[in-house]
Amino acid sequence: MRLMQIEGSRMLGVATRFMRRADLSEDAVQETFVMIWRRAGQFDPSRGTAKGWIYTILRNRCLTMLRQEQRDIATAPEVIDQSLDDHVLQTAWDRLDTASDLRKCLEALDEGTRHAILSSYVLGLSHGEIAGRMSAPLGSVKSWLRRGLSKLRECMS
Amino acid sequence: MTKRSLPELIDDVVVGLASEEDIARLETLAAENPDIAFAIARARQRFLALDETADELPLPEGFWERLNAKLDDRTEVPNDDTPGNVVDMAAMRGKLRRWRLSALSSIAASVALVAVLGWSTLSRQDVAVIAVLLNDQGEAVALVEAMEDNTTRVTLLEQAEVPSEMVMQVWTKPEDTGPPVSLGLLESGTSRTLTVDGLPTPHLLQLYEITTEPAGGSPTNLPTGPILGKGLAKVPVI
Repeated sequence: MRLMQIEGSRMLGVATRFMRRADLSEDAVQETFVMIWRRAGQFDPSRGTAKGWIYTILRNRCLTMLRQEQRDIATAPEVIDQSLDDHVLQTAWDRLDTASDLRKCLEALDEGTRHAILSSYVLGLSHGEIAGRMSAPLGSVKSWLRRGLSKLRECMS
Repeated sequence: MTKRSLPELIDDVVVGLASEEDIARLETLAAENPDIAFAIARARQRFLALDETADELPLPEGFWERLNAKLDDRTEVPNDDTPGNVVDMAAMRGKLRRWRLSALSSIAASVALVAVLGWSTLSRQDVAVIAVLLNDQGEAVALVEAMEDNTTRVTLLEQAEVPSEMVMQVWTKPEDTGPPVSLGLLESGTSRTLTVDGLPTPHLLQLYEITTEPAGGSPTNLPTGPILGKGLAKVPVI
């Protein structure tokens, strides 16, 4: 029970970084628990950790909800408080274990590429949104991300 | 759609840059090819440290109750999106639902979730027997899942009140007419997986029980303390 409380709290934290709204974040976590329940038989421990499996379900659920929201409500990009997002990204970066491979490999990337990757993973931003935030051409952002992810893969293998 | 290599597609899906179509395509590939499934899991693991940087936010009041209601709703719905090669858990869920209802309502939702998460770390197909341990009032106090090699997951369904100088000890009777054998201690008073060598494969109606013993375990290597819960194993229908 304590484990679930802690994991549930962390899941709510991850969902809030994506959804930005408390009601939507709770929905995402609840839907995730329902999916975990329904799909428990599909989990195969030989293919990864339970934690990885759970967070994948959560992240996918958040992304689906985000994309749905964007279709339903045409939220202008300027409505979103960008400074808040920048703060979230900075906090994530500061908290990322300095001894971890991910941290070391991300540090080896140039700042723009690192920012683009973190914006996608932590905030769930799309290529287009990242390009808008960084005031950079979409094609350039796509190629930064592709090259950056490839370097990360190499660095962490 | 841009032509991407498989590793690029995997990264895009894991990082969150892929379209829903791409995610579905990769899931299909992974279902057919274990190497791809493994590569996805490895990629996920690479980024997991970032999820751990999120705040731990207090769950809103009524969270578990609302979830419990949702789980009850869905329990009756046929699992129509489950591929044919996946074990049908409907029967299990039905049983769990009954256990859930038999538990105190305030902890009902968390009991169900602990059980689900407990399950999620062992593959269904590997579980040889399952026993629900009941106390002397007939309430479910623990769920025992034993694999063929006697790796045994014990999920407590209630917080047991064990004095500080005592410890919970888990027992089984591999032979119905033989003595109980210790599977191990629940020293932290929480659910855990126990391993023990040299026992025969668990069988239908094998006895499992948890007793309270002096710190360090029973001095006689046989149960001496009060029984917190006991139950006979059933073979899951999978």
